[in-house]
Amino acid sequence: MIQLENITKKYANFVAVDRLNLSVDKGEIFGFIGPNGAGKTTTMKMLGGVLEPTSGAVTIAGVNMQEQPEVAKRKIGFIPDRPYLYEKLTGMEFLKFTADLYGVGQNGFHKKAAKHLEMFSLADWSEELIESYSHGMKQRLIMAAALLHDPEVIIVDEPMVGLDPAAIIMVKALFKQLAQKGAAIFMSTHTLKVAEDTCDRIGIINKGKLIASGTTSDLQREANVSSADLEQVFLNLTNSTSLE
Amino acid sequence: MHAVITLLKPRIWPLKNRGVPKNLHGRAAKLILLGTVGVVFWGGIFAISWRVLDYFKGIEDIGDILGFKLLSMILIISFALLIFSSILTSLSKLYLSRDLFLVHSMPVASYKIFLARWIDSTIDSSWMVIIFTLPVFIAFGIIFQTGGFFYANMLVTLVSLAINASAISTLLVMIAVIVIPATRMKSIFIFMGILFFVVMYLAIRLLRPELLVDPEVFDTVLVYITSLQTPSSPFLPSTWAYDSIRATLTGSMSGGIFHNALSWSFAGTIVFIMIKVADTVYFKGFSKTQTSGARVFKKGNTADRIFNFLPGPIKSFTVKEIKAFLRDQTQWSQLFLIAALVVIYVYNFKVLPLEKSPIKTIYLQNLFSFLNMGLALFVLTAVTARFAYPAVSQERNAFWLVKTAPISLKTFLWVKFFIYYFPLLILTEILIVATNILLQVTPFMMALSTITVFFLVPGIVSIGIGLGAAYPDFKAENPNQTVTSFGGLVFMIVCAGYIGLVILIEAGPVYNLFMADIRGKALSLATWAWIIGAFAVAFVFSLLAIALPMYFGEKRLAKLLF
Repeated sequence: MIQLENITKKYANFVAVDRLNLSVDKGEIFGFIGPNGAGKTTTMKMLGGVLEPTSGAVTIAGVNMQEQPEVAKRKIGFIPDRPYLYEKLTGMEFLKFTADLYGVGQNGFHKKAAKHLEMFSLADWSEELIESYSHGMKQRLIMAAALLHDPEVIIVDEPMVGLDPAAIIMVKALFKQLAQKGAAIFMSTHTLKVAEDTCDRIGIINKGKLIASGTTSDLQREANVSSADLEQVFLNLTNSTSLE
Repeated sequence: MHAVITLLKPRIWPLKNRGVPKNLHGRAAKLILLGTVGVVFWGGIFAISWRVLDYFKGIEDIGDILGFKLLSMILIISFALLIFSSILTSLSKLYLSRDLFLVHSMPVASYKIFLARWIDSTIDSSWMVIIFTLPVFIAFGIIFQTGGFFYANMLVTLVSLAINASAISTLLVMIAVIVIPATRMKSIFIFMGILFFVVMYLAIRLLRPELLVDPEVFDTVLVYITSLQTPSSPFLPSTWAYDSIRATLTGSMSGGIFHNALSWSFAGTIVFIMIKVADTVYFKGFSKTQTSGARVFKKGNTADRIFNFLPGPIKSFTVKEIKAFLRDQTQWSQLFLIAALVVIYVYNFKVLPLEKSPIKTIYLQNLFSFLNMGLALFVLTAVTARFAYPAVSQERNAFWLVKTAPISLKTFLWVKFFIYYFPLLILTEILIVATNILLQVTPFMMALSTITVFFLVPGIVSIGIGLGAAYPDFKAENPNQTVTSFGGLVFMIVCAGYIGLVILIEAGPVYNLFMADIRGKALSLATWAWIIGAFAVAFVFSLLAIALPMYFGEKRLAKLLF
């Protein structure tokens, strides 16, 4: 469903992402972790089609992002970590705006919008201006908008930031449910517990390169860590040291 | 087209979301004040235009020619303004807006995103120019006794002029973003600044306005008239607009339609070319601009060293303020704009044909010098509005740092004050001294204007910082535009009142001192008492102008819930 072939992104002389190869299958949740500045957000942006790779190809559900960006983007539900929302629109208007751009039919829209707003506990706020929303509510709204058109691929950057514990549990369950229905989920996170709990496979990126990829037990073997602690795996593989 | 309309909706929908404001009276008062100022300004432009055109019409033989020359000037200046305004707006809308990341992740072709942004940018950059040139054209219509066709044609022509200017600017911006390395966004602003400078220079040189009031440089009346009738370049969009409006003023409907069609055919062609170019390069350009800008001054410790003598918190805010200002790319274009403004301002004094005037030159030179003080201070007000007024709003979401820092709001505001005070004082003194040298004024006038300005600048900067703190907008998309808000209007009115009052207080005493100096006569004791009293009052006003706005701003800011 998601295929990255030799993706490289250079900013002047700095190589942010270096010949990255990756694939995520249908129904799979892939966790993408790495230290700050490792190239996670750059990779996410290239996956979402908002940044052009210097070289290499991004394929979404069989569609090449560089050749057919609109077709590829239609298949994606993109959830950035710091969402920009039009503060002077209401929650419902923002959903309508997104639905129009993603081609969600007029007939199905209201039913779907109501369902998603209910699911993300925003039903009572649908007619309020977004500027009055809290950070967590904005995060929930952007998720509701991204899922409105039933995307085949979900790209999500730091999904749990700003969410309360109940919402975190709900989102984790929702992602698992969506994956069971066949969606491929590419999730970047700093919260290793979330990656451990939710993801089928995890990839670790460091200095622009994918240094390890596999299930939690694959990574433990690679990092020579016996305990089931992903944190130690991460520190070993990225050569980082904890503050303790 | 459906996607383009949808992309424009976040701009349209908020208009109906305003609802009933909580503070209905406050909002009504603001609207009335803003409306009144707008109407007065609009009416003033109309009255002056009508008066000038009526006077021209009364001059035998060359009255109409003068009127048409004025029309040509207005259209060239409007075109130059539209070009510059479009460059800044399109750069911001197409490459720097915060919602671009969201929009580009949507399944919409990049040329459609471009088109929606361009429409938005064209409206934003041109509505004000069109609204405030309308009274001039209406005055033309009334003086030349035209019919309804003139007004309809004029409106359609102005729209085509705005589209042409916007399309040309946007094409230039797209090419600049692609050509100049992505890590050097500052270079793009510098490029745009230079471009604007060239456009303004060309526009002014094409006009040669000083010749209009100085027929003597021409050998005969015929040469003068021929010079007035010299058409502008046929390749300038403003010329097509001029030809169309002029034709309808003289009753030629077919001429009006023909030149209007010429303008629209160019608009159609350039918009088509622009969309084709955008389809190829816009997304590449947007992708490039997401890289962070290369820093020109990598070792930025100079400010730290210079301000080492200040106490910790004050030093940290001072250094932060200077660094943030110098690293804000959007400030650079504005600095070029100011440089252009200063050059044009000084240049105008250089070409003043004072010796041709029937009034005694020395008297006129010093009169101009006195009035120039007021004029330079109005320029200062405009620059303060752009830089010092938004200084508090510039803190944006980081204002919590100020609130939680071990520094009082009073100190925070005074740091802001001094940051802007010194550069603005130097700028204004340069304006005053340079123009006084060109005017060859007496030493008395030179001393008077430099001292007066020295005392007025802190007052104006204080009004800027104080009212900017009293009416901050930390959520503004672009804090530099907060000056167009209610607080900004109050700032303009207070500054104009303050400058006018001081000039008025000083006018009488200065006239007496100046004339006594020219005639070599001594002043009476009573006159001296009056002069000293007047200057003392001006001085007290200046002290109040420094203290009161800062106090007011501090109190209002302290009450603000953040």
